[in-house]
Amino acid sequence: MHDFAALEARGVVAAFCASTEFVDASAAQARALGYREVPAVFVPHPIQDRTDDETRALADAALDAVLAAVTTGGPAR
Amino acid sequence: MPDFPRDGVVAVVKRDCPTCRLVEPVLAQLAGVVVYSQDDPAFPPGARDDTDLAASLALGVETVPTLVRFAAGAEVARTEGWLRPAWEELTGVDGLGAGLPEHRPGCGSRTQDPELADELLVRSRGHTLASRAVELTALEDEAEALFDRGWSDGLPVVAPTQARVLRMLDGTSRAPDEVVAVVPPNLVPVTVEKVAVNAVLAGCRPEYLPVVLAAVEAACTDEFNAHGLLATTWGAGPAIVVNGPVAAEIGLNSGGNALGQGTRANSTIGRALQLVIRNVGGGRPGGVDRATLGHPGKTGFCFAEDEAGSPWEPLSVSRGVAPGVSAVTVFAAEGPRGIADQISRTPDSLARSLAAGLRTVAHPKLVMGFDATLVVCPEHARVFAAAGWSRADLEGALAEALTLDPAEIVRGAGGIEEGVPAARATAPLPKFRPGGLMIVHAGGGAGMFSAVIGGWVGGAAGSTPVTREVRP
Repeated sequence: MHDFAALEARGVVAAFCASTEFVDASAAQARALGYREVPAVFVPHPIQDRTDDETRALADAALDAVLAAVTTGGPAR
Repeated sequence: MPDFPRDGVVAVVKRDCPTCRLVEPVLAQLAGVVVYSQDDPAFPPGARDDTDLAASLALGVETVPTLVRFAAGAEVARTEGWLRPAWEELTGVDGLGAGLPEHRPGCGSRTQDPELADELLVRSRGHTLASRAVELTALEDEAEALFDRGWSDGLPVVAPTQARVLRMLDGTSRAPDEVVAVVPPNLVPVTVEKVAVNAVLAGCRPEYLPVVLAAVEAACTDEFNAHGLLATTWGAGPAIVVNGPVAAEIGLNSGGNALGQGTRANSTIGRALQLVIRNVGGGRPGGVDRATLGHPGKTGFCFAEDEAGSPWEPLSVSRGVAPGVSAVTVFAAEGPRGIADQISRTPDSLARSLAAGLRTVAHPKLVMGFDATLVVCPEHARVFAAAGWSRADLEGALAEALTLDPAEIVRGAGGIEEGVPAARATAPLPKFRPGGLMIVHAGGGAGMFSAVIGGWVGGAAGSTPVTREVRP
């Protein structure tokens, strides 16, 4: 989330991406950084034990949401 | 500021003091003396009311009676108790107290009364505190109120009253408003005062504060990466090992049960660091702290190295701190687990034994990922000392024993899918990255049980141990 904030501060459009286990953590960190809402995409947990093919499939499935996150709306403070 | 005479004599007394009562006729004999009474405005007749002790504090009175002479607005003479020649010299009046004994010692000033110490401390210095004051209602239980506000790690905390924070701040010469560090995960600047508040919450004594401050400085560095350590699902947390004279001065345990409970300094210093991260940095379990399991030492983990019994130079010295200088080293730590070897009497055998225990860090088949700390107990250290092994000798032997056969650690080996990818498992691999294993000497005199403290991902992608000198 700090990376997201740092990119936004430099004028680089960004979105937060993590697995679903990190919904609460990202919300807590976003609030602490002054955001009410951050464009975010959460892929199904887990991540670590995925095969490369499974990880590619996760990325493919998330691509539309990621593109939407960086092309519509934006963070709200 | 009380209205003291620009030129003249001031006396401070209290009725409760026999010597003050003894000199009452003397005070009556001295025209123009301004008398302040600490406990009874009617004693002696005509006295000024100093039951709030404002005049006594302004004069720094420690004993009553105290007699002070002012000239041109400045104190020029003072005497305490009753000593006829001193009173006569200070007042310039001869023949004082005819019939009184020549000398009687005074009594303690009410400003020295232990029951009033907190109130007077707050009255005199409370205004120097910048922290927001929180008033509890009469119906609130103090301990429960602190839990309710989320300032506890789950154990009771000590209420950080103004008096306690002021006394804690007496433990350092650093200014309360000095910024010590920027605390992750919320990157909040923390002052000496805010660290003191959390040290009170944790149960520290004032003399621990310099160690807590050094630990906060060390933990809030890019190298230590407290944010990553907090946010990772791995269960490690910050631990502190203390070197130098401060350890003994504040009663840190480096001996029996050094990693356990029962010593206030050990139990509260690490806790204070964790409470700073929680209450200032905003790092809380369920929030940014995502540990899958965590461990009990995340409440606080601090111990001292046993330097006196160590065959090696202190850890801090090996990390660049001058001998005799107090320092903290903060490192990522899981809970400790013992390594028993009650047979080895040669250093080579014992090193291989310890290496076997270290190999289990994170996973026996994973290498170059996780750091670790080895706590060598005195009875094991004795074997190395007898053989003349330096710390470097032991490190070398451990590195050799922990250079692992790729056939044993490749994914799938041993019927275990976890392991090193085949593409990397082409040659013997070291268990730990260079500098990824720290060796400390601590523990009780009996027991051939050292301990391995697993760490977290080492280096730039994770956490590197950080050493900082302890400043008074």
